[in-house]
Amino acid sequence: MTSANSYDALVIGGGVNGLAAAAYLARGGKHTLLVEARETPGGLCDTTDLGHGHLVPSVAHALYALDPRVTSELRLTGHGLKFALRNATIALLQDGGGQLVLSHDIRAGARSIAACSKADAEAWPRYSNELFTLGRSMRALWWDLGGKSVRNRLVDQIARTGTGAWLDSWFESDALKTLVAFDASALSPLEAGSALLLVWRAAQEMCGLQGAVAFPAGGPAALSMALVKACETAAVELRMNARVAELAIDGNRVTGVRLHSGDVVMAPLVLSSLSRRTTLLELAGGAGLGLGERHKIADASPVAAAKIVLALDKLPDADGIAGKLNGRLILADRPESYVLAHADARAGRIPDDLVMEVTFPTVTDRALAPQGGHAASVVVRPVPREIAGGWEASRAVFAAKALSRLNGRIPGLVKHVVAIDVLTPDVLSSRYGAEPDTPAVSRMLSDWPARMRTAIDGLYLCGADADVAPAASGRSGRIAALLAISATGSR
Amino acid sequence: MSEVLRASAFHARTATANRSNAWVTRNGVTLASVYTDANEEVLAARTRIGMVDLGARWQLMLEGPRVVPFLQQLLTRDVSGLLPGTALKALWLADAGGVRGAAAIARFGTDSFWFLSASPDFAWIRAAAGLFDVALREISADRSGLAIIGPYAGATLGNAGIDPDLSHLAFRKVFWRGLDVILSRLGEQGGYELWCEADDGIIAWDRIAQAGAAFGIAPVGAAAMDVLDVEAGIPRPYRDYIPATETGACEPSPRGLGFESLVDPDHLVFNGRQEFLQAPTPAAPRLVGVEIDADRAASHTPLFVDGRVMGHTLSSHYSPCLRRAIALARIAESEAKPGTQLSLTLPSCLEWPELRVARATVVALPFLGRPDSLAE
Repeated sequence: MTSANSYDALVIGGGVNGLAAAAYLARGGKHTLLVEARETPGGLCDTTDLGHGHLVPSVAHALYALDPRVTSELRLTGHGLKFALRNATIALLQDGGGQLVLSHDIRAGARSIAACSKADAEAWPRYSNELFTLGRSMRALWWDLGGKSVRNRLVDQIARTGTGAWLDSWFESDALKTLVAFDASALSPLEAGSALLLVWRAAQEMCGLQGAVAFPAGGPAALSMALVKACETAAVELRMNARVAELAIDGNRVTGVRLHSGDVVMAPLVLSSLSRRTTLLELAGGAGLGLGERHKIADASPVAAAKIVLALDKLPDADGIAGKLNGRLILADRPESYVLAHADARAGRIPDDLVMEVTFPTVTDRALAPQGGHAASVVVRPVPREIAGGWEASRAVFAAKALSRLNGRIPGLVKHVVAIDVLTPDVLSSRYGAEPDTPAVSRMLSDWPARMRTAIDGLYLCGADADVAPAASGRSGRIAALLAISATGSR
Repeated sequence: MSEVLRASAFHARTATANRSNAWVTRNGVTLASVYTDANEEVLAARTRIGMVDLGARWQLMLEGPRVVPFLQQLLTRDVSGLLPGTALKALWLADAGGVRGAAAIARFGTDSFWFLSASPDFAWIRAAAGLFDVALREISADRSGLAIIGPYAGATLGNAGIDPDLSHLAFRKVFWRGLDVILSRLGEQGGYELWCEADDGIIAWDRIAQAGAAFGIAPVGAAAMDVLDVEAGIPRPYRDYIPATETGACEPSPRGLGFESLVDPDHLVFNGRQEFLQAPTPAAPRLVGVEIDADRAASHTPLFVDGRVMGHTLSSHYSPCLRRAIALARIAESEAKPGTQLSLTLPSCLEWPELRVARATVVALPFLGRPDSLAE
């Protein structure tokens, strides 16, 4: 049976960006429907229940790029978004048990660095200053729809510089370089322009603090919940369990979508928060695209991330660890670890030096675990997107490798594990439709309309793919909605 | 481009015949450039019969249930109606309409095509084929071609025991005294091509050389073939134009290379169609022939009309049949009418170091008909 229902605008996907886009469209006076394939909205900002009341962030476990304008304009704080930790530290778990801890406090960071190198401790404030100044100068391009690129010599130079070379020019200590490089590790430190990712991270603002990382109270799912409330306030219609089968296209213009249920929803404006590949190749069938363009879109990155979530009956209390588990802990041996791990992942192998980011969300947010219990959330990146024989067969090997490495740096962790869930790239893709999304320098220096417009009139991308770099920012949702509204307004 | 040089299947014979020891590398294959004298070789192909090593042709086999939809999108002409045993010529374009290459496409069966081109574009075609799950196999080094061109090409084949009855742009498999070969007529220079397994190359060469001896057969080198190409008005990649390599490249345009006949505007789905259909700007250059009032060739040289540069030559050669230098040229539409008078400077050389200006005239292409047209 086909029931025709008609809206001004339709948003595909109920992740952070999809929800933000829908809220802005509705606030712009568009009668808006949001369709989400899963039972609950939130996308990658979701919570997994590991049993016995252990709630662990399923995929994203920290926020670092949430657009402050989305927070204020959609009144997310009023809709229940609170932060358990506004300024998470980042610490390197080193072999000898020593710890290098960096935080938003530059002086505290310099003191910690001084244990590794006096010269680096002196360079740290200058480095932070330069990075933050550069980050702010790039906000015009990275935060605003009509933003023009600030192209000065320094930006041009960094856009051609790898993280490794950039950090080598500042610091001598391997430990510091390893820790700082982590935030740009979505790209290999050898890749030209990967240093731009550090600038992008420094340009972000969380809870009013530039370059900070925050943990929402209740996990990142709290952000999704606040956005859902913002959508409801703006009178967005949300339809769950509604998977889009294909886009309806007439000539070169989108007219709506057909759902798997057979329902057809008409809308002259469709914003997709799904990936560019899914939207343009699967849902639109490659309409309006040349062969070169199609191949470029179909060519998925060989590098992805995996997630391991652990329920613990108690926090590990090894020497040097206790009391320091409230921020982000980085497991990486040396600066080259990122290079080797990327090379392994590209070649379809599980890296020997797995690079991991561990958080214990329950340390700052007791509500996420039962009395006495704790949870750990581990992002492993890079890992291969596809592996010989399939991820299904390698999952146990991967989990064992990751756990033994974790246990080596956080002694006693494994014996406290009561439940575990391993989300390899294939699981993330089947459960969340998540596709590995690797930043690219050309993308970071292009303008918003170039990333959001498609060859089909009325169809815009509003997901992480349209953002400067993939993140739960809400920014691409907001800007896509503004772009779509201004395009229809002028028609 | 291939990174390793290889010899063609006929190398043992071409090396013996190559009295001048002049070689040229094309697509990673060493070919004899001049066997004895390029002008003699051109005349042999035009008046008697010449045999040409096609070892540098880039060849692919394309197979799969979706090979037709793939080629429909890749190529500028409709292959769906092509019958097995026949072929057509078409271009493939970048998304923005720039020419990436020109190919002959021969249909083996329902789902199987043979793709021949003067220059390789493996990465692009493999990427595009991947979107359609089309299997792609490069066979350039496995299947070796020998072209037989000239008025006595048919007679030579008959002497060699092969029935020469075959229409242009067609091919058929032939069992030739113990060898499985393919006889085709795909070349711009007319004549025939004989394709055999690389290991059988020497046998095929010897048989044709023997069968053509009565007609004065001569091996024709790459330099002479270049002259024949210019006489026929055919621009070649990396000699006359640099193929588009970027997705967004709109140059060289099919019109600017005189390739309109290889693009079917009624074919609805090919890559780069929208850009092709856009009307050309008045300043867009056209491909023409230029006869130079001298015997010295002038490649890639500016062409003047009343002291203003209105275009430039592409490859240029002395044509022994026309007894003057000729060139392909790209000239502004307004000056492209046959008979337009131009001037150019000839390249300096040891005997003539001073600046020398020559007159030239625009002529319609081709300069000359196909070498085998005498026989028809």
